Amino acid sequence: MEPAIEVDGLVRSYSATHGMVRRRRSTVEAVRGVSFQVARGELFGLLGPNGAGKTTTIKILTTLLLPTAGTARVCGLDVVADTRAVRTRIGYVFGGDRGLYDRLSGLDNLRYFAELYAVDPRGLRARIDEVLDLVGLGGREGDRVEGYSRGMRQRLHVARGLLHRPEVLFLDEPSIGVDAVAARELRAVVAHLVEDGTTVLLTTHYMFEADQLCDRIAVIARGSIVAEGTPAQLKDQVADDRVVEVQVFGIGEAEVARVRAITGVTSVIVEDHEQAQALIVHCERSLDVSAEVVAALDGVRVGSIATREPTLEDAYISLVTAAEDG
Amino acid sequence: MPRRLVRIWLLQVKQMSRSSFEMMGAVLLPLLFATLAFYVLRAGTHPHALLGASIGAGLMGTWSTVLFGAGSAIDHQRWQGTLELIVAAPTPLIVVLLSLTLATTTVGIYSLVATMTWGAILFGVPLDLVHPAAFLVAIPATIVALATLGLLMASTFIVLRNANALANTGEFPIWLLSGVLVPVALLPTWVQPVSSLLAPTWGVRALREAALGGSPWRAIGACVLCAAVQLALAAVALRRVERRARDRATLALT
Amino acid sequence: MTARAWLRLVIVGGRISYRALFNWTSPLMYIPTLLVSPLLGTLFFAYLGRYAGGRDDTFYVLGNGLLAVAGPCVFGGMMALANERRYQTLGAVLGTPAPRGAILVGRAVPYVGNGLFTAVVVTTLAALMLRVSIRIADVPGLLLAALAAAASCTAFGLALGAIGMRVRDVWVISNTVWVSLWLVSGANVARSALPDWLEVVGGLLPISHGIDAARAIAGGSPAAGLIAREVALGAAWAAIATLLFRTFERSGRRHAALDRG
Repeated sequence: MEPAIEVDGLVRSYSATHGMVRRRRSTVEAVRGVSFQVARGELFGLLGPNGAGKTTTIKILTTLLLPTAGTARVCGLDVVADTRAVRTRIGYVFGGDRGLYDRLSGLDNLRYFAELYAVDPRGLRARIDEVLDLVGLGGREGDRVEGYSRGMRQRLHVARGLLHRPEVLFLDEPSIGVDAVAARELRAVVAHLVEDGTTVLLTTHYMFEADQLCDRIAVIARGSIVAEGTPAQLKDQVADDRVVEVQVFGIGEAEVARVRAITGVTSVIVEDHEQAQALIVHCERSLDVSAEVVAALDGVRVGSIATREPTLEDAYISLVTAAEDG
Repeated sequence: MPRRLVRIWLLQVKQMSRSSFEMMGAVLLPLLFATLAFYVLRAGTHPHALLGASIGAGLMGTWSTVLFGAGSAIDHQRWQGTLELIVAAPTPLIVVLLSLTLATTTVGIYSLVATMTWGAILFGVPLDLVHPAAFLVAIPATIVALATLGLLMASTFIVLRNANALANTGEFPIWLLSGVLVPVALLPTWVQPVSSLLAPTWGVRALREAALGGSPWRAIGACVLCAAVQLALAAVALRRVERRARDRATLALT
Repeated sequence: MTARAWLRLVIVGGRISYRALFNWTSPLMYIPTLLVSPLLGTLFFAYLGRYAGGRDDTFYVLGNGLLAVAGPCVFGGMMALANERRYQTLGAVLGTPAPRGAILVGRAVPYVGNGLFTAVVVTTLAALMLRVSIRIADVPGLLLAALAAAASCTAFGLALGAIGMRVRDVWVISNTVWVSLWLVSGANVARSALPDWLEVVGGLLPISHGIDAARAIAGGSPAAGLIAREVALGAAWAAIATLLFRTFERSGRRHAALDRG
């Protein structure tokens, strides 16, 4: 059976103009040669930081944006040539709280899109109730959307994307700005859809979300895919590492350079937390560099120190920082 | 307080000059009004009334600017979520709104100059004024008359969602009642007392009499007096409306 | 897509989108903006006409009564497309397989009906207030003229709305057009009295031929040709609206300009 999504050498560049008086044009490459395949019934995650090219890729796949080069096929149909046929087979849900008709009720928003997707009018109300139940909005569908919370808006987005029983569902950062409980419920809905055989392509920058849901993940950074595989395979990429995590207060460039220079250290990342910073040091598994790290941090206030196994997040961060440094 | 008034006024003029919508309206509409007035009046039997038409069309433009300026400023602030902040600030609401309204009126002065110039150049309307000094005094008096009336209306905009739409409705009645183009004496007798309570009616009369002959100073006096009453009413209305808006949560969109 | 689905999209979809996108659906907004304001305008110009002494009240009542279609049709047609930008729903709509023709026709229908309604209400009330009598026999013809004006005006509004999908300050255009129509449509000044170029502009904008037709009907002259001209003009504006919509949709996909706030 052909794959649900085939992306081959996808490139998308934007031209931007700068300056008011002397207009200069420059080209920004948002996606630079992305290729991947998603099998039918698979839940595939596109994981990357903001601006990595996730939304651009998804907009091309959902026919809202034309690629500069390369091809993309959904259900065997070319997204540029067979636009309408692709549109009938896909659902598209984006994050954030815009993109709904605020003045209409949730029900009318769904009704309108049901017409746009030519959903059979005979089973329409039943289908609407079904998707409302699925996303847990039953009972509130008569209220105007302007009174909905962010989480409710997000569910309505999902319901709208499902109305016409799409074969492939695109979820662009669906849990952005949604509280933890709502995000967990959303993940349950997605898991349920995949059980029913829907292919899902999900973009997210939440590691645990990708880890928990996805069959396979592609990590995208600066417009290119830097790694691809199951969550376990990605973790394996850093499995030979040991991670030392040190809580520090006010670390400078010089100290980071000193830590980086320690033999056996493969990468050093500083994460800013609320009051402190976390210094995450990857080193070879056979070595314990904790003592050297503390010595290198001479003069900096140090909090807790822990040595642990690498997580998927460590794998992701080291992949992305490697891509962004390079 | 005056310093704060001036500063808010400056800020508002700056913001307006950056919005093409406001500028376009302010620049083009008066010329359209003037052209319209000239053609309708020239088609008739009152060719000598053209200078009055220049002035009247200018004031039509000023009033539109005040009305839409106040309406859209409040709409914008609401959309940007800043209306709540303004109400919450320690500066009294009336000071904020008065400076906001005066700012739109400043742009409105252009309207009067533009229609008179437009009339002189395109339609050969003579610009010889009978009482030039009174005319110069009547201009600011009329501006204040329009601004305070705008303020009175703006106080109702605060409680409404689409202030702009309502502003549409406020144009014609004031044009009719204040006699910008059609003398008040031609209107049905029952509306004439209403006209005489509106400060702009006296402003229009002052400007016309200063330009065409008559006793402009009396009209100027009446104009200032009525404007003061309008301001007082606006202050009372604003206080009530503000309380109501806080009560019913109509300041913000969400 | 079947013919039935197409029709449903026009009728059901059109009705829902009207409620979704038209800002003035509530009576509190509808009545002052679309009925009271043009009625007051009619009175204003009729009194101005009386003062000027050129034309009788019938001239102004028919002119401004038909001009009342401009409110729902120019502004409504515009909101029907341009407001997608406000709600950032354009991407969601364009991502559907729905035929664009049906979307556009569906969005136009409510405003055409609306335009006809406002023209009837404003003309009737203005005629009553100014004691202008309209012959019963003329009513069907006047309704036809108003319908033609409403249709062509909505097509014009949709063309502005299509521009509004890309340009933020399309309101500038619509407001200026709206006031310009007071002058160039011939509602208040006979178009023949205007300079040649303004007369041409008026003839290319909607409503002016409809007004000519209404006055011809009231004057007992044949008006079928004038109504046909208004309809033809509407068809031309509809073609322009469709072309603009498709162009912006295509260029939006090429330049990533859809749903830019």
